[in-house]
Amino acid sequence: MGILGRARLLPRLGLAGVVALASGCTWNGPQTTLVPVSDFARETLRVYGIVTWATVVIAAVVVSVLSWVLLRYRDRPDAPLPPQTRGHALLEIGWTIAPALVLLVIAIPTIHVVFRTQSAPPTGALEVIVRGRQWWWEFAYPAYQLATANELHLPVGRPAVLRLEGPDVIHSFWIPQLGGKRDVVPGRHNHLSFTPDTPGTFLGQCAEFCGTSHANMLLRLVVESPDAFERWVASERAPAVQPQAGPAADGAGAFAASACVGCHTVRGVSSGVVGPDLTHFGRRATVGAGMLPNTVDNVTAWILDPPRIKPGVKMPALGLTEAQARSIAVYLLSLK
Amino acid sequence: MATRALDLPHHDAPAEATGVWSWITTVDHKRIGILYGVSAFAFFLLGGIEALILRLQLARPANTVVGADTFNALFTMHGTTMVFLAIMPFGSAFFNYLVPLMIGARDVAFPRLNALSYWIFLTGGLFLNASFLVGAPPDAGWFGYANLTTRPFSPGLNIDFWLLSLQILGVSSMIAAVNFIVTIINMRPPGMTLMRMPVFVWMTLVVQFLIVLAFPPVTVGLIFLMFDRFFGTLFYDVVAGADLHLWQHLFWIFGHPEVYILILPAFGIVSEVLPTFARKPLFGAPVVIYSGVLIGFFGFSVWSHHMFAAGMGPVADSAFSIATMIIAIPTGVKIFNWLATLWGGRIRGTTALHFAVGLIATFTIGGLSGIMHSSPPVDLQQTDSYFVVAHLHYVLIGGSLIGLLAGAYYWWPKITGRLLDERLGRLSFWVIFLAFNLTFFPQHYLGAMGMPRRIYTYAASTGWGTWNLVSTIGAFGIALGILVFAVNAIRSLRVGPRAPADPWDGRTLEWRTSSPPPPHDFDTIPAVYGRDTFWREKHGDARGRKPTPLPPAPDPHGIHLPAPSHWPIVMALGIGTAALGALTHLAIVVLGGLVTLYGAFRFALEHHRAVAHADQTGTVGVDHRKVGVWVFLGSECMLFGTLIATYMAYKGRSVVGPHPHEILNIPLTTLSTFDLLMSSLLMVLALAAAQRDDRRQARFWLFGTAVFGLIFLGFQAYEFTHFVREGLTLQQNLFGSTFFVLTGFHGGHVALGVLWLLTLWILDVRGRLSAVDSVKVEIAGLYWHFVDVVWIAIFTLVYLVP
Repeated sequence: MGILGRARLLPRLGLAGVVALASGCTWNGPQTTLVPVSDFARETLRVYGIVTWATVVIAAVVVSVLSWVLLRYRDRPDAPLPPQTRGHALLEIGWTIAPALVLLVIAIPTIHVVFRTQSAPPTGALEVIVRGRQWWWEFAYPAYQLATANELHLPVGRPAVLRLEGPDVIHSFWIPQLGGKRDVVPGRHNHLSFTPDTPGTFLGQCAEFCGTSHANMLLRLVVESPDAFERWVASERAPAVQPQAGPAADGAGAFAASACVGCHTVRGVSSGVVGPDLTHFGRRATVGAGMLPNTVDNVTAWILDPPRIKPGVKMPALGLTEAQARSIAVYLLSLK
Repeated sequence: MATRALDLPHHDAPAEATGVWSWITTVDHKRIGILYGVSAFAFFLLGGIEALILRLQLARPANTVVGADTFNALFTMHGTTMVFLAIMPFGSAFFNYLVPLMIGARDVAFPRLNALSYWIFLTGGLFLNASFLVGAPPDAGWFGYANLTTRPFSPGLNIDFWLLSLQILGVSSMIAAVNFIVTIINMRPPGMTLMRMPVFVWMTLVVQFLIVLAFPPVTVGLIFLMFDRFFGTLFYDVVAGADLHLWQHLFWIFGHPEVYILILPAFGIVSEVLPTFARKPLFGAPVVIYSGVLIGFFGFSVWSHHMFAAGMGPVADSAFSIATMIIAIPTGVKIFNWLATLWGGRIRGTTALHFAVGLIATFTIGGLSGIMHSSPPVDLQQTDSYFVVAHLHYVLIGGSLIGLLAGAYYWWPKITGRLLDERLGRLSFWVIFLAFNLTFFPQHYLGAMGMPRRIYTYAASTGWGTWNLVSTIGAFGIALGILVFAVNAIRSLRVGPRAPADPWDGRTLEWRTSSPPPPHDFDTIPAVYGRDTFWREKHGDARGRKPTPLPPAPDPHGIHLPAPSHWPIVMALGIGTAALGALTHLAIVVLGGLVTLYGAFRFALEHHRAVAHADQTGTVGVDHRKVGVWVFLGSECMLFGTLIATYMAYKGRSVVGPHPHEILNIPLTTLSTFDLLMSSLLMVLALAAAQRDDRRQARFWLFGTAVFGLIFLGFQAYEFTHFVREGLTLQQNLFGSTFFVLTGFHGGHVALGVLWLLTLWILDVRGRLSAVDSVKVEIAGLYWHFVDVVWIAIFTLVYLVP
């Protein structure tokens, strides 16, 4: 059976494929680009819709014409040579102008949204300095003089501007439900401004190849009510609540005596700046920049041998025993 | 099947040489085409295996087939291999084999240079893959963004292998591009105006211009990276004031035209295959040609659509967005013309036609996802995700590879003299086509669900597992389809039926000679009196009239074929040695450099042309070598333009001194500039002497020009050592890095010019530079004057302008 017999199968196969795809597809995965939670994402999705419709229509037209032509003009035995048509000026003009018009339909909202989404952030916008490092994210809130890592908190309904800084290599900040990505380019000052409009927890990850553990540089955004946000700010600003007794207190002693203090800040205890700030580590959902849930077992495993979990990580295994690591883990998780 | 107007070889033509040495020293475009094709296929299989391992790792979440570093190296090598070692050389295989045949020529303009391109390509490909042998494969992506690729963040040999290989491959492509441009412009038969050339030849011509103009910027970007890594310059050093967008701009100014380099040959092939099997001419052939030219031209205006997330600002984003949309128009016009070619035809469903039609379907999808990417807001959700991975594979596999496979099935009989099995062929098509769609269509969805690219693993909670598994299954299906093709090919070579000269009732000149053609391609060079001349000779025009053939252009001296040469492979070995030395010991670099220079010298002096054959004037009335040098100078404009532009971009950004006004010696440099300008005058006198056959005077002025060149270099040596003593080094600040690299490369060009002049002097001494050879002096003069003009620009912008 040649191509032309199979051409009849094609539409049927195609429909079956679409049905299969549609049933296997949900719009709403954890890092979907199709469920917006900010003005930036909504504007983007509007243009996305226009562009998708235009391209689907064009694809349908081209594939239909192609299929029909293959059926209608297939070779028949003993048929004469077809008329040797060389061209048609009007057709050429027509199918030059038609795509241009479709592109105009795409271009106008595109340029509009480009300028609207890159305009200067309003005064009073909440400013967060985002520093992308190999392979974790630092978030500093200058207005509140606090710094945290890997989990970003924002109040719903208030304009925010993320100022993207890079002390090492190029990364890219991408939380798809919030909108498109923006690169962190060392030496340059990029920014993303938007207003989140839906409370919830939203996930993302680095989107520019940045070395060994590029895949492990995850992002977590918590959008909450203004009251909840103020409470979070207040507790983040407070110095570490040191445990007084029990295994957590033993761990506090072990932490203060170990090399941990050289790289990590626990406000009131240590002031290292190489690794993430751990002052309120116990309130975070994950360890290792989103890699594992923040449980005692996971944090213990992390402390014992970070490169085994996160290839290439700058944090070395310190040669601690399992008991020591567990003790420090209990301490860190007590830092709420 | 046609019975007349065929040009079958006489039985008394000499048999072609066989044996390994004959292949190593071959300068026959057909053999070089086969060498490219076989090498490309081997590298393609390697790149394919790399892809299969990637897909195995991604098939399940948190998989452990390979670790992070291995995965990162595999996707880097997969991309680099497929672009530079598979698709581009597949294209070269077709250019080499078919362009001379399609324009009725016996070979390309510079056959030994053609061989040189191949051996340098093979050197580059082997060098890149040698990195596996020392456990240091490149691992920062095929696009190698700085500053991840600088030494602090990539301390091993990995990136060194990468950047040296790319530069070697770039040299190969550039040499071939000059060769093919001269061939197409200057070796056409009587009656073949540019608009009467086959569309495949036109697309080849556009591709070669793209190579000539696009490779220099990335060469400069790679030179900057190489100097940063080896010599401590500061081109990509943020602390010293560098801008990391510099790498991205230089890379993508090359990278975007590169994708047109990858697709236009496939477009050319489809434009030949469809008319043959629809049995009617390409609809709107002039428009298809103009579209190709426009795509090539506009291809230089869209590069920053790869940088929409990089933070260029809304004005730049908008400009590049609109430019990208504009390119969609000529691309769409081609597709519509192909559909109109099929419309009203009598379509024969051969395997080649299947692949050509397949390209229309899959390239349309790839082109449309490209249109989605042209809108920055949408692109910010799609770039660096699996959506763009889907897009690029739809255009590169669904476009380039499927088009090349169409060409393989179409021209296999001509090249091998055997027929491929049509049933196995159609089977290979369906397996590849369906498996390809299964592999890559779901990746659009994965991108829409937020899966970034270049990640070695992902969590199960992302929900990306199912479609990744489907995609992996599809990938193995593609491998199966390629296997079917390989089986078909091997069977055909061993027991396939012999192919006649014109198995498809073709339209273009290659079908006029035997399958395979004799070493000299055609017994007589055919005359041409329209597009599809051969078809009209067989079938007549719309009113059934067959043309009265014009007498073919006779060969006044019989058929001479260029003699084989071993200097191309010697030069390639020298280049490979120098590259190895860059990773090991300076002495080996020097050794490799000397071998290369010696090989070049012997190459230049190799052929004694008899006076009667000294003239190489071609179709446009200009000597081949002059056309070639002009094309080369075009690439040099891009090279120096990029170096100067970088100097200007980094002006004023040095964090520490010395600064230009504190250290540049204008009076002294004015003297050296005057010396260089005077040397051009001496060069003019040398040419005049050569043209009037005054050999003594020619030697005198050639030597004088070289001396003045050496004086200029002396001034430069003094300036450089003085600056270093004053504290301005390559590593001191951005001014030091940009100044020394710019003026140093210019000085290098002067030095090579001096060597060129001395070679001419030696030729003259040996009695091989008489008046008929004066074009050799003329082209050296063109180069010399160009280097002067560049110096005027440098002197003005670096020294005089504050």
